[in-house]
Amino acid sequence: MVGRAPIWIIFVVGIVGCLWIIPIIGIVATSLQTTDSIARGWWHFGENEFSLQAWYTVWQTYPLAGSLWVSIKITLAATALTMVTAPAAAYVFHYLRFPMRRLWLIIIINAFVLPQQVVIIPLFQLWREVGLLDNMAAVVIPFVGLSYAWAVFLIKSFLEDFPKELIEAARIDGCGPIRTFTQVVLPNLISPIAACGILQFLWCWNTLLLPMLFLRSDISLTVLLARIAGTYDPNLDQQAVAAIVTALIPLAIFLLFQKQFAAGNRVSSGGKE
Amino acid sequence: MASAKPHARESGVPFTPTGTGSPNRPRRGLALPEWTTAFLLLTPVILLFSISVIYPVIETVRISFWEIRGLGRPSFVGLGNYARLFSDPVFLGTLWTTLIFTLGVTIVSVSIGWFIALLCAFAPRQTSIFRLMIFATFGISEAVAGYIWIGIFRPGDAGLLNGILTAIGLGEFAQPWLGGANSALIALIVTASWSAVGLPLLLSFASVQAIPRSILEAAYMDGAKPLTMMWHIMVPLSLPGARVAVFLTLLSSLRAFDIVFVLTAGGPARATETVGFFMYRESMTQFNLGYGAAATIILLIGVLLVSTPAIAQRTRGAK
Repeated sequence: MVGRAPIWIIFVVGIVGCLWIIPIIGIVATSLQTTDSIARGWWHFGENEFSLQAWYTVWQTYPLAGSLWVSIKITLAATALTMVTAPAAAYVFHYLRFPMRRLWLIIIINAFVLPQQVVIIPLFQLWREVGLLDNMAAVVIPFVGLSYAWAVFLIKSFLEDFPKELIEAARIDGCGPIRTFTQVVLPNLISPIAACGILQFLWCWNTLLLPMLFLRSDISLTVLLARIAGTYDPNLDQQAVAAIVTALIPLAIFLLFQKQFAAGNRVSSGGKE
Repeated sequence: MASAKPHARESGVPFTPTGTGSPNRPRRGLALPEWTTAFLLLTPVILLFSISVIYPVIETVRISFWEIRGLGRPSFVGLGNYARLFSDPVFLGTLWTTLIFTLGVTIVSVSIGWFIALLCAFAPRQTSIFRLMIFATFGISEAVAGYIWIGIFRPGDAGLLNGILTAIGLGEFAQPWLGGANSALIALIVTASWSAVGLPLLLSFASVQAIPRSILEAAYMDGAKPLTMMWHIMVPLSLPGARVAVFLTLLSSLRAFDIVFVLTAGGPARATETVGFFMYRESMTQFNLGYGAAATIILLIGVLLVSTPAIAQRTRGAK
């Protein structure tokens, strides 16, 4: 930044950084050791025995592959739906005039404060009545509906800096609102839509409450892990593998798309300056 | 703010094309097609949003005035559920737990995140790998974080925390951390802070980086030491980012559920139940739907109180 960075600063940040990943190292080490070694403490690297046993057996012990597939299906469906519908909504709210526009906008963008707990009792009753419990849709619908609160806000913030002249030019050339959206606005919305997609993907994959309540037989990875964690199951090495598998995909997405994730988070939190 | 925004239409358009409507209408397009198109594009959003937000909020409020136990006949009790909540020692305990947990997580994670962000500003490139190591927990779900930390707080030799205490000669402090009421709450705060620190780090770092270089260079020329610069210049100037971080961390820890469920499941003896967890337990495991709904409304009121400034700001900005 300015001048030379004092070495102690790098040192302090380095220590905190290393402290922060110790739990992650712990879980990886646990997954690679025998149960006897884990009971002694995973950090006794000198004496402990390492084995890949847990990584082989876990697929038979827990329905890991099935849950992985459920997580992928739910998350992709919810992410795709948000990425398709939220930009259209943001465009409509930003450029078109229609009755009760401002009221809807205010309700939607302020809904981001709502706790998920508010939706579970009514939706549980509703899904039970219409027979949607244990159906993927029971989770995907609230995932998408709740995402509008921040997704519409995120994309609309981006549209605020979008040149009005382009919209105007399209209108003069005879474009209707829909063609203006698909041919002028949409091609320029790639980066906020990508940010939305990444935030939504991480949230849907990682969240526990809704899938835990609305899914029964085909459960997502996060729910599976929560179930395993609550039992007195001695197979700590296999549990660790399950935790790593649960964390791996979102962590990879997160690390790959850090920039979009950071930008999306700053804007949707209202922290953009 | 784009300066050309409000009058772009008038100044940028020299003439009105004929044949697309009346020549001197004030707004673009015909009124009817425009709002028809608007509703066409909005239908899926309004539909899904209504099912998953508007209906549940109204319905939760309604249910909170009824006593519904399992499949029995519901009976209207007015504010009875609320009266019962505030004479229920368990619920009053969860209010206290929620307060401690929320404040604890916010203070710990924002102060660590902000401090690291300030330090990193002096050497952004050299610290980027360490920043990533801290930031990475942001991509790990609360459920996985809870599971990982169970391993650290495990009783006996297998728990890392007890292992460290024994190794440095403080073995008498080793204990089953998740087994005691106070230590379990502390464990919960530590775990939640570990997983929540990413957002404060991200927002404060963006805010620190936005400080004009000239100000920092001037301070450096005047011989200010890093800590002095941090305290007198960078802390006040990065306050906006930190303030947003405080708000968002307050909001998310107030609503916490996943991490409580996985790490302590509210135990031991309901000592670490937050309001968000109490509501789940009452309505989804005890099937006291009305009672659980009333607790949810209390949580909602708390959330709305915390978010009033943010809601006011968004509402003002909704153009």
